[in-house]
Amino acid sequence: MSQSTIISLRDIVVEFDGERVLEGLDLDIHDKEFVTFLGPSGCGKTTTLRIIGGFVAPKEGDVFFEGKRINDLPPYKRQVNTVFQRYALFPHLNVFENVAFGLKIQKLPEKEIRPRVLEMLELVGLKGFEKRGVNQLSGGQQQRVAIARALVNHPKVLLLDEPLGALDLKLRKEMQIELKKIQQSLGITFIYVTHDQEEALTMSDTVVVMKDGDIQQIGTPEDIYNEPQNAFVADFIGESNIVPGIMKKDFLVEFAGREFECVDSGFAPMEQVDVVVRPEDIKVVPTIAGHITGIVENVTFKGVHFEMEVSACGSRWLIHSTQSEAVGSAIGMVIGPEDIHIMKKMEE
Amino acid sequence: MRSKYSAFAAVPYYVWMALFTVAPLAMVAVFAFTDESGAFTMEHISRVGEYTNVLVRSVWLAAIATAICLVVAYPLAYIMSRQSGAKQRTMVMLIMLPMWMNFLLRTYAWMTILEKNGLINRFFGLFGIGPFDMINTSGAVVLGMVYNYLPFMILPLYTIMVKIDDRVIEAAQDLGANPLKVAARVVLPLSVPGISTGITMVFVPAVSTFIISRMLGGGGNLLIGDLIDLQFLGNAYNPHLGSAISLVLMVIILLCMSLTNQFGGDEEREGMLV
Repeated sequence: MSQSTIISLRDIVVEFDGERVLEGLDLDIHDKEFVTFLGPSGCGKTTTLRIIGGFVAPKEGDVFFEGKRINDLPPYKRQVNTVFQRYALFPHLNVFENVAFGLKIQKLPEKEIRPRVLEMLELVGLKGFEKRGVNQLSGGQQQRVAIARALVNHPKVLLLDEPLGALDLKLRKEMQIELKKIQQSLGITFIYVTHDQEEALTMSDTVVVMKDGDIQQIGTPEDIYNEPQNAFVADFIGESNIVPGIMKKDFLVEFAGREFECVDSGFAPMEQVDVVVRPEDIKVVPTIAGHITGIVENVTFKGVHFEMEVSACGSRWLIHSTQSEAVGSAIGMVIGPEDIHIMKKMEE
Repeated sequence: MRSKYSAFAAVPYYVWMALFTVAPLAMVAVFAFTDESGAFTMEHISRVGEYTNVLVRSVWLAAIATAICLVVAYPLAYIMSRQSGAKQRTMVMLIMLPMWMNFLLRTYAWMTILEKNGLINRFFGLFGIGPFDMINTSGAVVLGMVYNYLPFMILPLYTIMVKIDDRVIEAAQDLGANPLKVAARVVLPLSVPGISTGITMVFVPAVSTFIISRMLGGGGNLLIGDLIDLQFLGNAYNPHLGSAISLVLMVIILLCMSLTNQFGGDEEREGMLV
């Protein structure tokens, strides 16, 4: 994949009513990439998207598009298009007119508009719906119109603001796969905002994890999942056990009342750290063979696996296992060195 | 079960409409088509033709006032609808406030402002300009109509525009529409129901007013409302002719309204929720 940068954000500061929403955000977005801004609500992900779209003016900092500063360019002059949350279709226009809106504004000849709109409607699976009013469509269909309306203008970058939030789970999964396909077949940059970590992992080339107006980590879905940079990322992406620990020396950490071998180094001796262990990385063994002994408090069947809550050494542990243990029984837990992730303590 | 109940619940309204809408209308129609002895006659209806110039003047002045109201109210309503909640409430309040002051008093105030020795002429008099003839002109009548009926244009427009989602306007900008095109292609078509309601609510009272024309128009600007007033309460006492003129006026209003509703589409009733 070519790695030329299409959008750069430099030192972006945004304030709403004196409250800082983004503090000195720096970000490069590469051409033809599927980038996802992921984070809990209020983390600034939608604001970042709206800065790129031109709907929010940053208080400080610069926005570059293909190397040109576009801070002062109004939305209607930018080469990006947006798929809005809750679609924002034009209620007075039918499906065809909605999709044709941008092309008509550009004053393209009618005979060029028609084939382009029809082709786009076919791409999103709405062939034959041209004459329908947008209020007669289901949520999923309205979503498709919104996507077609944005894509028909051949934008260099498509911005999507939680576009699947209002759809039911099954439809959402279908649309995730379809969106990814559309992005790959058109070869344009998608910037996608979501709070759903599974959605982010499924579709993205790059995930930008955000919290409180700051970027926590940028990486591929695999990186983010397997090598979270701090306890927040670990906790937000998938489920995690996070316990306090002390780094004795390189490759040796103490937590849950004993020392473990690990693969991390570079911390100060005796540094306080967060230890992160994924629930599926804890092996359940007889008590004698375990590193830690715990009591099973609760068992929930989750389909593919059982989720067990185990109390051990004063903290609660989440374990995913294909075998279930009786509630109240004592079990042993084994954690391998490569399954222990050491992170710098977060300043709270 | 449900339909029986709702049919029963509607009875008071049928009675109301029969008593206060159908019966008076029928009486006006009967008066218009009969003479003193109660015999059928077309005499009064045909006499309405003598007052064509008054009818035309009424419709013309009301139309001008309605047009001015629309031009003034439209941008104001749009600006109001894009403010924050608290500001919106204050602005609505300020627009409603004069309406709580007595109608006659408001119009009388304009008399003292526009008079030969009124505020404006006295102000210009300080610089040795004037006095201007402002009172007793058709301009003063239009001013009175605009001043009194402007809120009836602003409120329906505002109620419709406040429902236009900010995101829809952003979507239009996003698709390349500059502010002018956003107004023409999104805001205007979406506010058509408010426009047609506003026109109705200003034009109908303006075309049949008689207080405004009497107080600000003097004797030379007789409107159709004054004419009807004269037939019932004036020296020219003739309720049959008065009824005939009222009936003709009603037909004219109905024609004007069906004309505006041509542009209103099916949804214009929404604007009536004011």
